[in-house]
Amino acid sequence: MKKNTLLGLGIIACMAVTAQDFDKNIATARSTYSSGNLQDSRFAMEQILADLDMAIGKEILKLLPTKAGALPMIETEDNVSGTGSYVGLYVNRHYGADTKRASIEIMNNSPIINSLTAILSMPILGGMMRDENQKIVKIQGYKSILNKQVNTETGKTDYELQIPMNNTLLTLNMDDTSEGDITAVANGIQLAKIVQIAQ
Amino acid sequence: MKIKHASALGVALFLGTLTSQAQVLNRLKQRAGDRTEQKAGQEIDKLFGGKKNRDGTGQSGEGGANGAGGNGGVGGNNNPSNNGGAGLISTPPDVKQNLTDAEAAYKKSSYGEARYAVQQAMLGVELEIGNKILKSLPESVVGLNKDAGADQVTSTGWGWAGLTIQREYKGAKEKQLNVIVANNSVMMAGVNAYLTSGGYAQQTSGDQNWKQTKVKGYRAIIEFNEGSGYKLSVPIGQSSIIVYEGINFATEPDMMKAAEAIDIDGIKKELGEQ
Repeated sequence: MKKNTLLGLGIIACMAVTAQDFDKNIATARSTYSSGNLQDSRFAMEQILADLDMAIGKEILKLLPTKAGALPMIETEDNVSGTGSYVGLYVNRHYGADTKRASIEIMNNSPIINSLTAILSMPILGGMMRDENQKIVKIQGYKSILNKQVNTETGKTDYELQIPMNNTLLTLNMDDTSEGDITAVANGIQLAKIVQIAQ
Repeated sequence: MKIKHASALGVALFLGTLTSQAQVLNRLKQRAGDRTEQKAGQEIDKLFGGKKNRDGTGQSGEGGANGAGGNGGVGGNNNPSNNGGAGLISTPPDVKQNLTDAEAAYKKSSYGEARYAVQQAMLGVELEIGNKILKSLPESVVGLNKDAGADQVTSTGWGWAGLTIQREYKGAKEKQLNVIVANNSVMMAGVNAYLTSGGYAQQTSGDQNWKQTKVKGYRAIIEFNEGSGYKLSVPIGQSSIIVYEGINFATEPDMMKAAEAIDIDGIKKELGEQ
């Protein structure tokens, strides 16, 4: 209980800092622009974009599940970054322990998103790509690519599910799992809300 | 890697499919010899008219094997061609209004909307910076006059691809100087690596197509290509670069003289570089 209260206070403190930064940067952007100092105005706007990406990332973290199947999230490894640039938003959450892990990664403007969309939108290409370790599945209506990887030493099967949504890519990785389990976890993620916030 | 290869192959197959689709259509129509078949051909035109038009393929029997040479959608189908229109209005975004919008959206926790508004504001500021730099460039350089119609400022508002400013100077005998100023450019990293790594040794024999040089005290790289002429890249500050492209310049000193005519310090100051 005490831990949760402290965590709550921490989040509120972080948001207050972000809000202060936003107000400060927007005031700087406005005043420097009015005085004709375009470069400083532009720099302040870059800072605002980075702040906004951070705020968006934190909102997305709130929407991510606290468990991936039976694996609990590792809160200390939650990661949000915003560069305010082309790549922009990046959110990452880990689950489980070293023996069995899972992760959810959300990235705006990922370099591979165009290739994935091409595979999904061109059935001929999807057909060529198809092998026993890859298939296209639908998660909450979004066409997605499911990759299977069998570890020859341990015999365990890891899965990776890539869900491109406009310019946002969500990747779910799960160790030692099954297709049914990973799709069940993916179906539990609030994809529509995440994509709405991330855009 | 697998995805990249498959993508390339996919695109090739996709284009190939479109071409063969056009060829099949043409063959179908050529066989429509008698009237009944001609009617069928017209029906095929109707059915595939839209698709054929988008592909840029020609009329029946006119397109040739490569499927090119269409006449802009006039003819076979009844789609009219566009003959007028004033185009798009090129208005830079209102910086102050967008900042106000961003603030309002942020207060409502609509972060996506706030981000969009800030990007628009940044676009507006970058376009203003670009236009100021264009104004600061000379009207003519070594006898070449600016082509005002070719002046161009490009901004994505992302900060990443940044700002690109382009000016062209043209003269007699197809002599031309292009000046490109790029800020927050990926080009910059490449040229800096080129200048700072010792891996690029200068040749002492054979054709010398590039070398390091200096323009107004700034370290630079000059390249020569028989097809495209001279190219001089001058990094300035932390994140900007000026690229000069000289077409039909007689000699390297001729090219350097043209580059010297540009006020690099002024551009650097305008871009806020140190």
